[in-house]
Amino acid sequence: MNRVTFRKTIVACATLAAVLLLAIVLMSLLGSEPLPVRASLCALASFGTNRCGLTQDQFDILFQIRLPRILLAAAVGGSLATAGAGYQALLRNPLAEPYLLGISNGAAVGTMIALVFFGSIEWTRPILAFSGALLATLAVYRLARGRAGATPERLILAGVIVTTFLSSVIVFVTVLMDATRIRSFTFWLLGDLSGASKALLPVTIAVAIAGALALTLHARSLNLLMLGERDAFDLGVEVGRVRIVVFLVASLLVGSSVAASGSVGYVGLVVPHLARLSLGSDNRITVPAAALGGALFVIVADTVARTVIAPRELPVGAITALIGAPLFIYLLRRA
Amino acid sequence: MSLEGRNITVAYDRRIAVADVTLSLKRGEITAIIGPNGAGKSTLLRTLNGQLPQSSGAVLLDGEPIERLNRRSISRRIAVVAQEAELRFPVTVLEFVLGGRFAWATHSGWGWETDQDLHIAEAVLRETELSDLSARLMSELSGGERQRALMARALATEAPILLLDEPTANLDLSHQATLLSLVRARCDQHRAAALVVTHDINLASEFADNILLMKQGRTVHSGRPEQVLTPEILHDIFEIRVLVDAHPVTGGPRITPVHEPISVNRGPGSV
Amino acid sequence: MAVVCLALYSACTPGRTANEGPSREITDDLGRQVSIPAKVDRVISLAPNLTEIVFAVGAGDRLVGRTSYCDYPPEAKAIPEVSDTLHPNLERIIALKPQVVLVSTASQLEVFTQQLKGQNIAAFVTDPHDFEGVFRSIEQIGEIVGEKDKANVLVQKLRERTNAVEQAVKAKQPVKVFYQASGEPLYTAGHDSYVTDLMRRAGGASVTSDVPGAWPKFSNESALAARPEAIILPTGGAMGAANSNVAEALRQSPAVLQGRVYKINDDHLSRPGPRLVDGLEEMARALHPDAFVR
Repeated sequence: MNRVTFRKTIVACATLAAVLLLAIVLMSLLGSEPLPVRASLCALASFGTNRCGLTQDQFDILFQIRLPRILLAAAVGGSLATAGAGYQALLRNPLAEPYLLGISNGAAVGTMIALVFFGSIEWTRPILAFSGALLATLAVYRLARGRAGATPERLILAGVIVTTFLSSVIVFVTVLMDATRIRSFTFWLLGDLSGASKALLPVTIAVAIAGALALTLHARSLNLLMLGERDAFDLGVEVGRVRIVVFLVASLLVGSSVAASGSVGYVGLVVPHLARLSLGSDNRITVPAAALGGALFVIVADTVARTVIAPRELPVGAITALIGAPLFIYLLRRA
Repeated sequence: MSLEGRNITVAYDRRIAVADVTLSLKRGEITAIIGPNGAGKSTLLRTLNGQLPQSSGAVLLDGEPIERLNRRSISRRIAVVAQEAELRFPVTVLEFVLGGRFAWATHSGWGWETDQDLHIAEAVLRETELSDLSARLMSELSGGERQRALMARALATEAPILLLDEPTANLDLSHQATLLSLVRARCDQHRAAALVVTHDINLASEFADNILLMKQGRTVHSGRPEQVLTPEILHDIFEIRVLVDAHPVTGGPRITPVHEPISVNRGPGSV
Repeated sequence: MAVVCLALYSACTPGRTANEGPSREITDDLGRQVSIPAKVDRVISLAPNLTEIVFAVGAGDRLVGRTSYCDYPPEAKAIPEVSDTLHPNLERIIALKPQVVLVSTASQLEVFTQQLKGQNIAAFVTDPHDFEGVFRSIEQIGEIVGEKDKANVLVQKLRERTNAVEQAVKAKQPVKVFYQASGEPLYTAGHDSYVTDLMRRAGGASVTSDVPGAWPKFSNESALAARPEAIILPTGGAMGAANSNVAEALRQSPAVLQGRVYKINDDHLSRPGPRLVDGLEEMARALHPDAFVR
């Protein structure tokens, strides 16, 4: 047993999980409507079985609106950060990110098609979003991969091509929609967690956890894949199989989060980067740490989005982009 | 432990890259493949590792067709040393070398290196004189150190068969010799078998027990260095005149290419 | 060769000769002095409410272009489409040789007006924030198309109907009302929306009347905490079945529990034109049914 890395992983994940739990509690105390702190904490501690003196409305705000939204933020953040770490290993490039590669746009097209043609059938959204993400992933992969893996220039170019192409598809699909829905879509496209659908929330959370586990279980293969497909093959990695797993899992993660919340950008870039910066490049640490860190990041970003101009709201994607875009430029200059 | 190729032919894009090559690696021996660019040397090596499928013939690892074996069982027996490591992510030298233990893990994707894995990694780091650098990032190493780390990772696999694809291409003189000495030591002490694709005939002459001369996908000659490194054969392969004499230290063949001036017509009327 | 070029050139730039001769200045809702030709007989409308206004002041025959959403009055459908509300087709607009293009800020075309200006076509922008603003739009459009008198008569009638509604509900306790412009995500009418004014006149007190902006994205929990006594769902009309369900956050609101959720034809609420008064009457009847018993 390599005790050093193992202990580091356990400590890092346990710390992040504790901070995440703390954030879930603290962020549910913040919102456009003030709630009594002590009573809210008491109700949260009882998992909603005890009202602790909250009025029915306050209780509903806490458990029907805030908490589901925070859990959705966690699932979406965890999904996107995990997917980012997966794409980075697969494309051997730390700049790979679902939003910047156009994969979120692929999922968005899928979701929009589901909404236009199967509007009332909620479960078609994540499925078509997943299909869209998968197709976009394949397109980026084929475009970006040169002999030496995906160089930053090639990757970004491929991302721009896929993103702009899919953006025009999105414009095309909006033409099929009635005008009144377009504005809601523009907001949704920027990433919006306010529509935390009760039906899809458990699915989104389950996918986030399953996806993070699946990629963590391939972390050792990813470690080698990250350093070259040929080398990984030589050292015993079944490259083809691992590639398919990452393709499917990452697309599933992006699909389920886009179906639930639109395109929240830069999470998959910022979070794995910070994880590597503080914990090293070992995916056995990076992947679970990114999953937990992503959840934390989006919870905080969304709390800003829903409180800073309350009772109005900003799209959470605007907040994550505000943090992510400068970091992206910094990484690009260093690459 | 044995790796042999029987009448291997490899074709891609309708072009025949390797034609009817037969070879067998012997324990304790270094075999060098020499030939001009495009002779099919690297293709042959990739085929012997199971990466490229042959269109006819067979690659047998311990008597079994290689395509029937799973990746990890091949990687426990065959290690490849590439020319250059791709390093877009920051990894330490120790992490990098531990990658060589992947094929021995009980689970294919997850799990942690065992104490034994760590001991082996430390041993090969000592062997390659990288112990002091084990906590450094790969990207901070010099070219020679990086090549040694690649070598260390291959050695960490404990594979009895080493395939080296132009391992010395980016190295200066002293590092070239150091690297091949490491291969030599493995063959001598662990009864390993090594196959080295190289452009450096003198290095091959000095370190190899057998030399395979390839041209246009075929084995043209094979044998002991002193048997095949003759002016006639080398002229036949490289289309250049060479002088062959005895190496002053090892006594093996020493090859010196003779560069003839390109004749230019300077007759009247030409501009 | 040169003659052909010249002919093509002049054929392609009819806009340059569209607005010549005497003109007058009218200030639009962006505060711009717009120069309008003295006699206007070719108008394009880029919003359904403006099309309705043009027809209502009796100038439907001068309308040469409309958007795909302009479906009222039914005669409007016979007029060529130039665009949807968001993506106007400049070439087609120029080809129709309008003298004035009527634009609503609701269709987000402020930038587009600059392009029209370059073509020497007057672009008149409306952006009413209350009933007075809507009345002014009607009067100004009447003035533009030379139907000032008809417009004044129309506005007079609309004012009378508005006053009648206000009189009827005057003595009533205002109903706390939430206007759900869209449920997911939740949008409502804010401080700057004419709908907020409409709700006030209809005897309602919008729980979002102080929220900045015209159509803010609104917090679910604030909507819940506002405890509206009535919820308005603008739906139907061009919107079809969209927005016919109360947002999840409001499912336990007093409005829902007391069965006070009212669907009002979206065409009467989202088009600040003559039919807005229909919306006002429907809203008032919904909020205060007993005020209208005969």
